[in-house]
Amino acid sequence: MTRERLDLVTGKGGSGRSAVAAAMAVAAVDDGARVLAIDMDATGGLPAHLGMRSARFESRVRGGGGSGEPTEVRPGLSVIAIDRAAALSEYLRVQMSVPTAATVGPIARIFDALASTAPAIREIVTLGKVLWEVKRGGWDLVVGDAPSTGQIPGYLRAPRTIGELVPKGRIRNQADWMDSILTDGSATTRLVVVSVLEELPVTETSELVSWLDSEFPSIHRTIVANRALSPLPATEPSGDGITDHAADLQRALVAEQSDWEKVLSPDHTLPALFGPTGPEDVVAHLLEGVATW
Amino acid sequence: MVNPRLLVVTGAGGVGKTTISAAVATTAARAGWRTLVVTVDPAKRLATALGVELGSEPSTDPHEPNLAAAMLDAAGSWRIVARRHADPEVADRLIDNEFFVAATNHFPASQSYAAADEAAGFVGSGEWDLVVVDTPPASGGIEFFTAPAQMTDLVGGRLLRFLTGSRIPGRNLFFRAAARPALRIADAVLGAHLLERVAQFLMDLRTTYDGVASRAATMERLFRAATTLVVTTSDAGPVGEAARFFDELPEVASEPRAVVFNRSIPEEWIGATAPEGADPLLVANLEAWSAESERQRDLRSTFLRRYRSDMVSIPLMKTPPTGHDQLASMIPSELMSILGIDNH
Repeated sequence: MTRERLDLVTGKGGSGRSAVAAAMAVAAVDDGARVLAIDMDATGGLPAHLGMRSARFESRVRGGGGSGEPTEVRPGLSVIAIDRAAALSEYLRVQMSVPTAATVGPIARIFDALASTAPAIREIVTLGKVLWEVKRGGWDLVVGDAPSTGQIPGYLRAPRTIGELVPKGRIRNQADWMDSILTDGSATTRLVVVSVLEELPVTETSELVSWLDSEFPSIHRTIVANRALSPLPATEPSGDGITDHAADLQRALVAEQSDWEKVLSPDHTLPALFGPTGPEDVVAHLLEGVATW
Repeated sequence: MVNPRLLVVTGAGGVGKTTISAAVATTAARAGWRTLVVTVDPAKRLATALGVELGSEPSTDPHEPNLAAAMLDAAGSWRIVARRHADPEVADRLIDNEFFVAATNHFPASQSYAAADEAAGFVGSGEWDLVVVDTPPASGGIEFFTAPAQMTDLVGGRLLRFLTGSRIPGRNLFFRAAARPALRIADAVLGAHLLERVAQFLMDLRTTYDGVASRAATMERLFRAATTLVVTTSDAGPVGEAARFFDELPEVASEPRAVVFNRSIPEEWIGATAPEGADPLLVANLEAWSAESERQRDLRSTFLRRYRSDMVSIPLMKTPPTGHDQLASMIPSELMSILGIDNH
């Protein structure tokens, strides 16, 4: 039996991380794995890329309790979108052993209000749901469409922040258990950072990787360049304005991207897709690229 | 005496908001408006393009006498809020408080509140005819406009009322409230008297309420009078964000004045064909760009059928702009007249 694998896919807004996460999930299923894909900030991007209108809606309708049971969208592939309110009440019931529905309600309201002030409360609820799915097993791979590069450190660090603020008690015990899943190697945790080849996303990616080196050296990392244009070899000009302008543009953008690709030094590069319209088309086009990761 | 104008530039992350803000500001400055552009976390190259060392204080480029730029430090701004609105002793206690530090980093509205607060200060100073605010990337969306209300709520405090059961709590109330069953269980769940420590922090923060509330009211007035420009690319994600703006902004400010589709491929490229005998590589390249241009146009049309906004396309450029001339050349005069900042 192999260890559970957790892949958290992050990237700056607009990097295409939801599409990459969806493609990774589908590629693993095609390879025979049982996969759970989780939309961690309920933007709806991941479910849309997997052909669902809204997993949040599904889980509300079917779940009945908490943030919902996973919805199986095809054999071997299940999806959950984390709804914060629902995840919170599940967290309180399942992980904090708060006894009854009657007490969950008022406590959830206190937690919810607290999440705007106390650090790490909001993050621990979301991360807790993801790690709980890893811990309870049954999945070969859990793929999280995670918050953006700017926010992901707050999530990964949430168990430690709780540890610093709260010396003992139930929430502290939960936090300790979560931090150990991330660090002790009982599951293989990987952060996949998706970046387009422009200044700000590349800079943010480098900062995130240095942060990971110092705070979580045990977490594997995979850096992915997305939307890379393919080089256009030198040609005779055609003499036609638009044709030559399009060629100039392609060459100039490729040169600009290639400068940033050197700075990023990605493990993998995915192509820019011209033409596909629907989110599912995008995933189909990316599949080949992610199959070997 | 003309009132200073506030232009808020908003949209999803990664669409070029900061560049468009700087470009509009440069163009306005050259048309005679004393202009300040307020930005958060610009790319190094853009900071260089603006020709100024960005810092919290507005700084002016000698070559562009009407243009100044300022960059916000959200954490620093919060400290200013505490100093401005709390007694010195309470402010010291707040600034050292672990929850204050956390709220600075975590409270989703904090960066937006800080940006709005500074913008209000600049507009009120009378030094500028036009203040252009580039909204913070983390919030990007509507949160920038709801930040004053959220901040008032935090300070005011829904949470504090939960914890104490009183609108104007005193220090000893928490302990009485802790006898309530839900709080007792919550305190056991959280452990270590976390709730009590949060309540004490909130009671300190509560002393800033009058100052924060009146400042927030000023900001909300400003937002209602502000001009809002939505920036997007012709891609599904950012266009979805732009749609959210058009749906939700009228509730908290005013209707967006216009939408900019940045990085547009010229529409003339749709259906264009390479001449007879052109290199096959060029033929294939043009086909790809033509298909992409068509996809972009279809998405724009869908959006504009639904929202019927004034729209300006800014073309995809070969390289990011360097220097004021390139920034100014990005902005069509049509956009400036739509925004009402064409001549001064």
